Amino acid sequence: MAKRLMCKTLGAVCLGLSMVWSAPAAFALADVIETPARPTDLAPERLLNDVTKAGDRIVAVGERGHIIYSDDEGQSWTQSDVPVSVTLTGVDFGSDTQGWAVGHSGVILHSEDAGETWKLQLTGVQALEIAIQTKEDQAAAMEERIEAAPEAEKGDLEWALDDILFTMENMQSDLDIGPVNPLLDVWFENDNHGFVVGAYGMILRTTDGGESWQDWAPRIDNATNFHLNGVTQITGGALVVVGESGQIHVSVDGGQTWERRESPYEGSLFGVIGTGQVNEILAFGLRGNMLFSSDLGKTWRVVPSTADATLNDGTVVDDGRIILVGNGGVVLTSSNGAESFREYFRSDREGVMSVVPVSGTGLLIVGEGGATITDARGKNLQ
Amino acid sequence: MSNPKHDKGEHYLTTPKAEPFLERMIFNNRAIILVAFFLLTLFLGYNATKIQPDASFERMIPLQHPYIVNMLENRDDLQNLGNFVRIAVEVEEGDIFTKEYMETLKQITDEVFYLNGVDRSGLQTLWTSNVRWVEVTEQGFQGGTVIPDTYDGSDASLEQLRQNVLRSNEVGRLVADNFKSTIVYAPLYEKNPETGEPLDYGEFSRQLEEKIREKYEAENPNVEIHIVGFAKKVGDLIEGIGSIAWFAGITIILTTLLLFWYSRSITGTLVPVFTSIIAVFLQLGTLRLLGYGLDPYSVLVPFLVFAIGISHGVQIVNAIAVEAAKGFDAVTAARLAFRALYIPGMLALISDAFGFLTLIFIEIDVIRDLAVAAGIGVAFVIITNLVLHVLIMSYIGISKGGIRHVQNHGEKQDRKWRVMSYFAHPGVAPISLLIAVIGLGLGLYYKQNLKVGDLDRGAPELRADSRYNTDNAFIIDNYSTSADVLVVMVETPVEQCTQYEVLRAMDALQWELENTPGVQSSASLADVSKIVTKALNEGNWKWYEISRNQTIINASIRSAPSGLINTDCSLTPVLVFLEDHKAETLQTVVDRVEAFAVNNNSEDHTFLLAAGNAGVEAATNEVISSAKDMMLLMVYGVVSLLCLITFRSVRAVLCIVVPLGLTSILCEAIMAVSGIGIKVATLPVIALGVGIGVDYGIYIYSKLEKYLLEGKTLQEAYFETLRSTGKAVMFTGVTLGLGVVTWIFSPIKFQADMGFLLFFMFLWNMVGAIWLLPALARFLLRPDQMLAKARAAK
Repeated sequence: MAKRLMCKTLGAVCLGLSMVWSAPAAFALADVIETPARPTDLAPERLLNDVTKAGDRIVAVGERGHIIYSDDEGQSWTQSDVPVSVTLTGVDFGSDTQGWAVGHSGVILHSEDAGETWKLQLTGVQALEIAIQTKEDQAAAMEERIEAAPEAEKGDLEWALDDILFTMENMQSDLDIGPVNPLLDVWFENDNHGFVVGAYGMILRTTDGGESWQDWAPRIDNATNFHLNGVTQITGGALVVVGESGQIHVSVDGGQTWERRESPYEGSLFGVIGTGQVNEILAFGLRGNMLFSSDLGKTWRVVPSTADATLNDGTVVDDGRIILVGNGGVVLTSSNGAESFREYFRSDREGVMSVVPVSGTGLLIVGEGGATITDARGKNLQ
Repeated sequence: MSNPKHDKGEHYLTTPKAEPFLERMIFNNRAIILVAFFLLTLFLGYNATKIQPDASFERMIPLQHPYIVNMLENRDDLQNLGNFVRIAVEVEEGDIFTKEYMETLKQITDEVFYLNGVDRSGLQTLWTSNVRWVEVTEQGFQGGTVIPDTYDGSDASLEQLRQNVLRSNEVGRLVADNFKSTIVYAPLYEKNPETGEPLDYGEFSRQLEEKIREKYEAENPNVEIHIVGFAKKVGDLIEGIGSIAWFAGITIILTTLLLFWYSRSITGTLVPVFTSIIAVFLQLGTLRLLGYGLDPYSVLVPFLVFAIGISHGVQIVNAIAVEAAKGFDAVTAARLAFRALYIPGMLALISDAFGFLTLIFIEIDVIRDLAVAAGIGVAFVIITNLVLHVLIMSYIGISKGGIRHVQNHGEKQDRKWRVMSYFAHPGVAPISLLIAVIGLGLGLYYKQNLKVGDLDRGAPELRADSRYNTDNAFIIDNYSTSADVLVVMVETPVEQCTQYEVLRAMDALQWELENTPGVQSSASLADVSKIVTKALNEGNWKWYEISRNQTIINASIRSAPSGLINTDCSLTPVLVFLEDHKAETLQTVVDRVEAFAVNNNSEDHTFLLAAGNAGVEAATNEVISSAKDMMLLMVYGVVSLLCLITFRSVRAVLCIVVPLGLTSILCEAIMAVSGIGIKVATLPVIALGVGIGVDYGIYIYSKLEKYLLEGKTLQEAYFETLRSTGKAVMFTGVTLGLGVVTWIFSPIKFQADMGFLLFFMFLWNMVGAIWLLPALARFLLRPDQMLAKARAAK
């Protein structure tokens, strides 16, 4: 009874819901990807996962579909109009006005007005459908190959086909639940070209500003479908993706082809940044592990550190200092090009997820406790 | 009232020589009645001494309210949520990371572990093995107890301890934000699981004081111990009931002195005190036989019974002295006094009793108990006062001194009464009325701010500066916690309480509430799921979300606290922590929850209000707001009706009731100004105030009518009224006031509030009767018509 009543009163929502995917049971509440983020003063104080700049504007994203922006370097914030209320995980701008945000339920959001309003471009359902299509294509291609292959090779190829079909079935059962998997990071080169990465090896590319997305997973050497946690462009133009199990993938042709690098670390890498020097990569992750390469990842040096808190993100300040932030309130600073870092633990010990420099030597950090302006070390300004 | 003479149309007041049936019956069997009283007192008095204190939680809440019904239905599943004590062990110099502090904490942990009533498996302190730190590593999780296995009190191990505390997530929960105190968290069994006996809160609270607070504060002068929790609060309340004995003693002594000053007669002093105490014993004994105990509310009733007994006894003593002064012997004086007083006396007492009984309509047991206790008490006062008291006086008579006092006094005071009789003067009465109207206006103005519920921070039952409340403030200031918790219960089909839809709906409700003014934070299985999902994904905050994947949800809540899921997974609570428990705060929050429930309840999940102290208070407030007007209507209705039956005149009713109404309004204004809300404790005050306050009006009006019917002018009649009963009425007000004024010093806040307000009502109703009643009479009464009517009746 109650359900039918709800569907009547929230007719549009229910309709929208069934258009997105056929839910096993009608919900009384609209789905999180159908529920606009609630306007709230609490947004700047709650979990924020990523922060970036759109020109002079600072834009941050976080839990419950919160996207906030500041035109005074984080002194005051305005909440954007966002059509979803899922936890958002990453944000990036291809230009001063064109930006993309990603998050749970596989959502990709797009803004054309420097982050003030956002539209839903893609959901995890479509992402899964794209991935399933890839698998179907692969399966079809494999079947053709099996047909054409000599008898001796058929056995192996059939195994490979089974693998593909098995993965496809998994995706299909995920799809039955809904948009289960989160996207975890986003990078855009300009108004058209960009990548999003996410859980279970998800990686999608667009060349038309998100109008359409291509499954890029087949081009990544990640057979076990481990999470891809971060994507960025380093100085010199190369693209780098990092992820679970020490994955580091590098592309030197604008993302067309990717090569997996040998990693000296087997744990999870959560972020990667360039250092400001051509072809230098600084990747980091679980328990404070930092890997440095000056040759596009061909060789790596483990950066020594005593702080064993997980590192989430980093930035390079105008004067060349490298800042990394992480769990337990850790803020690492290097003035010698990632040779070594000085560590500082913030007094509240709350996790820091991302950082951007603000004028002077200050930093704007976001994380567990929302957005905070700090000094160069990461200490709160009074 | 089967007096045949009444039936012939004779007015009882116009035929004072009549010898009513009741009088004959009583005075012809004096010895038998006294013996009967003696035996009854012996029997009930014995029972009275056996009565036990009883501060049962359930009796203080509105059991019929849907919130409470929901709460009690799910009580077994929610049990572990509410009943615990938290003992904060504070270090005065330095911080907690010292050998001495940790040693004291260890001993306290052990001591609490062995306290009767503590659920040992749930006990948490830095020293218990269930308090751990956890860290994500490449291999999964790594962790250990906060106190390192190698702990030896050395600086190195204390440093290790500090590290572990920092990564344990216990800062703000078990460890204070400033590292100057830690908490011993002890969940309690409502019933002893072995013996099935209910937890003795009084005893438990005493043990906390003796075995924990006193012992360890003495042993380690550098620590201070703060204890909060429902059990401690109830223990303190029970302790507070004990101090009532002192008040009783003081009240009796003060009243006796005052009575002697008034009557100047030993017998005229001791007999009313004696008979009133008998009434108290009869009342307490009857309560015991009916199965009642003394809770912090009904413990006050004996004071009222005593005061009412005295105040009516005064009328008797006064009347006997007046008759004796005319030269009658003891028996005749007593008879005449009985004849003059039994109607107004009985009327006054019956209206007291009915006034109390209107409280029965409030669906909160303590208030009903209070009504029953007070009703029984007044019923006994009727017989002890009008029968026992009069009979004893008929044997021993009033002393010469008492009679002389009455004689001299009457003449000396005439001038004073003469002045006061001007209240009925046509020139003065309008001024009085104008003042009354101004008072009414002011009262109505200030009364606008009258709030429902408890307004102070902390435990409202106890004083703001009580030990409990300072402890409570300490814990609120130093830990991320609120003492005001509203629990929304989410019911689901069996084994469905962890479904994505349920968590999603709870999460939506929580966000709605966290965006509601007055809400500090909230917690539910949804939070557990999000935080553990994050933890399972290597502590990465980007995974802080409820997964749509049921397998992930199930993994995330595997080790959720037991209070958050019931055994068959059909109930899970949302805990809402509030900034305070003001009525507006509670109302806003429950309104939001109710709206959310209406919009979102489905067969998958039903949102039910409410448990937690804030839930109970919200329900109580609702019951009280809706009962308040009903109760006022009833009490005024009953009192008016009784007056109407007795005096057979609407004008008389108005003269008597209007001053009461003014007092009621002023009382509410005073409550608003002094920050006392309408609550379980103060709601009965109005009923008691009106029920008892009407006595003055009845005594005054009955005399006034009598003299008017004798043909006197209004002012002259009022002068005679004051002469004969003015002193007794004023004395009555003072005695009643005295009876309750000692409560103001009670350690229990609501008793103090009740004492203060009743003191005001008793005194001010007396003023209203003496000052405003004659002024109203000037405008309302038509003496000539009354006379004509009386003559026609004859």
